[in-house]
Amino acid sequence: MTVPLLETRNLSIRFGGLVAVSGVDLSLSAGETLCIIGPNGAGKSTLFNLISGIYRPGAGTVRLDGRDITGWPAHRIAAAGIARTFQSSRLFGDLTLVDNVVIGMHCRTRTGVLDALLRPRRARAELEAAAERAGELLRLVSPGLHERRHRLAGTLPQADRRRLEIARALASDPKIILLDEPSSGMDDRDTDALIEDIRLTMTERPGLSYIIIEHDMRLVAALPERVAVIDYGEKIAEGRFGEVRLMPRVQEAYLGQKAAHA
Amino acid sequence: MDAFVMQNLLNWLVLGSIYALVALGFSLLFGVLDVIHFSHGDVSIVAPFVVLATFQALVSTAFPVGTAGALVLASALAILAVGLVGVLADRLVIRRFRNAPAMMALVATVALGTVIRELIRMVYPQGSNPKPFPRLLESRVQLGDLAVPLFSLFVIAVSVLMMAVLFAVMRYTPLGMRIRAVAEDRNIARLMAIRPGRIFAATFFLASAVGAIGGIFFASYAGVVRFDFGIQLGLIGFSAAVIGGLGSMQGAILGSLLIAGIDTLVQATMVEGASYRLVFAFLLVILVLVLRPSGILGRPVMEKV
Amino acid sequence: MMADPAAATPLAHRAPGADLAVVAAIELGGATLLGAFLLADDSRLIVALLALLGAAFALLQIRPALEERIVAAFRRAQGAALGLGLAIVLAYPFAMQGNSYALHLLVVAQLYAVLALALNFQLGSANIPNFATGASYGIGAYASALLAINFGVSFWLTLPVAAAVATGFGFLLGFPSMRTRETYLALVTIAFGIVVHQMLNNLEWTGGPNGLVGIPAPTILGHSFAAPIEVFGHRLPSQANFYYLAAALVALAIVSARRLHDSRIGLAWNALRADELAARCQGINVVWYKMLAFAVDAFLAAFAGSVYAAYVSYISPDNFTFLVSVTIMTMVIVGGMDNTLGVILGAFLLTLLPEKLRIFADYRLLFVSVVVILFLILRPQGLFPQRPRSYGGRQ
Repeated sequence: MTVPLLETRNLSIRFGGLVAVSGVDLSLSAGETLCIIGPNGAGKSTLFNLISGIYRPGAGTVRLDGRDITGWPAHRIAAAGIARTFQSSRLFGDLTLVDNVVIGMHCRTRTGVLDALLRPRRARAELEAAAERAGELLRLVSPGLHERRHRLAGTLPQADRRRLEIARALASDPKIILLDEPSSGMDDRDTDALIEDIRLTMTERPGLSYIIIEHDMRLVAALPERVAVIDYGEKIAEGRFGEVRLMPRVQEAYLGQKAAHA
Repeated sequence: MDAFVMQNLLNWLVLGSIYALVALGFSLLFGVLDVIHFSHGDVSIVAPFVVLATFQALVSTAFPVGTAGALVLASALAILAVGLVGVLADRLVIRRFRNAPAMMALVATVALGTVIRELIRMVYPQGSNPKPFPRLLESRVQLGDLAVPLFSLFVIAVSVLMMAVLFAVMRYTPLGMRIRAVAEDRNIARLMAIRPGRIFAATFFLASAVGAIGGIFFASYAGVVRFDFGIQLGLIGFSAAVIGGLGSMQGAILGSLLIAGIDTLVQATMVEGASYRLVFAFLLVILVLVLRPSGILGRPVMEKV
Repeated sequence: MMADPAAATPLAHRAPGADLAVVAAIELGGATLLGAFLLADDSRLIVALLALLGAAFALLQIRPALEERIVAAFRRAQGAALGLGLAIVLAYPFAMQGNSYALHLLVVAQLYAVLALALNFQLGSANIPNFATGASYGIGAYASALLAINFGVSFWLTLPVAAAVATGFGFLLGFPSMRTRETYLALVTIAFGIVVHQMLNNLEWTGGPNGLVGIPAPTILGHSFAAPIEVFGHRLPSQANFYYLAAALVALAIVSARRLHDSRIGLAWNALRADELAARCQGINVVWYKMLAFAVDAFLAAFAGSVYAAYVSYISPDNFTFLVSVTIMTMVIVGGMDNTLGVILGAFLLTLLPEKLRIFADYRLLFVSVVVILFLILRPQGLFPQRPRSYGGRQ
């Protein structure tokens, strides 16, 4: 058996008395897409925060390429090859689109303080090259973004903020991208367009793996190969979307909640 | 117990009470407005000047109140006036920085502090010079073998009373409820038909009035007041509120007692204590914040991701 | 607010002559205005000049296109702008008509410009509060002065030593920033500043409240900085020595600021200013970049301190108080965070204004504070707001 690209074992964290994530095992191989679904507050985003190093797990391990990265600080995990987006997009609003993407390349660029001060040509050249690549990335994700690449990110509408976040995540040449509810806060038309763009990026970068948290079932049905269902911090099911959606526990978790809201 | 130790314990409590009266204002304002009102110390130190001015006016007119009566009346007036100064400071300046980055509000209120100091200096006759301030209640009570100045007991009692009043106002009155609602979320409070503008004014009045008491005590404790005393009083009050945990009233009191404690301890035990008291007080501030980045009782901010 | 870059493109086809004219007009006009202000004795003239400056900024506020035009001209005629600017700076002391007070003000203003630029790395680029720049400034001044007085070390050798000592202090100061943030971090720096000031005030070997006296002036190739300069039959007052030294320091600060800003480092600082958590997730080691900002600030501030000590030959703890740090902070915010030119202008304004307003004696501090508050309310983005980076051939 080959070592999976990403593997979590018994991943758990609690906040005070609340168990937010408990004993989650996931595994993802190279080039694969995994979708994580589950009701609001089930612990999906917390799971991402554990994998990307924003929270330190209370128990369990995270392995990337067989290497134990549990408890690493977020910037080292990013450098190791896990990029992410945020549910409420967190762009660098007072910087241009290009700058946002160039910052995404931080761990793929090298200039240090002394280089910047004493070898400015080199530092500048590195930055120019990064900006060049950032432009291409923006074009790849969405030509519309490329046109506006010198605008400030804070001025973008919601759907484009998502796209820019994806471009920024791609910029670090990651092995895995974690997309946290890419369609949240968007209407159907925007979501369709976004699905198209994500699909396009996936075909452009075949080796890349994705974990996507999603609420929009159309996106879930359209994109991933495998689905994991999280409820009350635990993984209650895993498999192909068509199979998983028929499982009674999953329906209970979803419909029960929906019924309560109705 | 040793009279020396008793004396210093008392001193500690007096100093801690004075600092707490100022620190509470910082904490209250931060809790409600998320704004550091750096000129709070300067606002507070306006009070002793109002006391001096009105006291002299009251004594010189043949108003039949007697010296003690005049002092009480002058203090009441000063507390009221300073409360209004606080409201004015908000209306004219601080209000405009509600949604600005924290550092802008900080710098603006530092400048506001200079304005207040300069106004004191210019408006009060010969304002640049230190002014002797009457020591309140100079008689002493015999407690065991220690003659305790009545002033000390008075300061402690008034401070405890003010803290109790403040806690009661915040917890049990409709005003306190509204203040807490605005502190929690001013937009939702607005939906509940609470007018944040009024609440801000009320909070500023409350904080400044309590600070005024601290200012009067501070002047009386030192026996002298100068236009720029507000800087140090403000810095210490601010530090106490921060190491206690901004927004927490208990924290402000705890922080004040800590700073006053190290202050008294250094002065009592070190040869050059008087010169090094600030060094140790602020080393303590650094130490506390290194160990507890959000203050002792402050809740660590868990960022929602 | 941000003008669309596309709107500026038609201007790109203008003749370079127009750009040169704009650059020359701005630089010469600015230099003339500054000179007139420095040499003015009449209070009415001073007020009139201030009004003129105010009007210029009001115009920029109302017509943002004008600002874009000027910026575009400077970008295109960069070489000419630099050359003319350099010539103006070199020739300036000769235009001061031997007025040593005006030169003195220029030295002090330039040192404050360096301090403000130092703080700008932190406050402007990375939005990390630091109320201890005054302390780093003081540490630099004392380190340099003590070495010169006690061990007779040459000023030029004390410079790097003082900078190293202060940089160490900067790292120490930055250490709590690992966990402490915002207001809490602001207090940590305030506390450090007060501790340093109080120590300088109390220790015996720093001269206590009396400070240090008789700090020797630097010499270069046998020429003492305390002596006047004679060039082409012109005699410049001794302050001119320090004017040129301070100008070199400003140049060093500007170059460092530009190079760091236009590199991965500057971008990392900007990222953590906008969103620290998102910055971490881009692989930015936030702790290191914060400490670095503190260190760079202290490093440059120490240079300014060493020059100051050698210049006035007498330093005391009261030159390096909390209020000095606040003044530096105000310069950065008033000038425009993360904008080199704005920060320098802020430093000049806030140094020269109180000095030239001495005629108002008692009202001077009040006036300056009111101006600062009004300014923060009316133009919160600063004199010159931060501008987006430009890449490659883009205007």
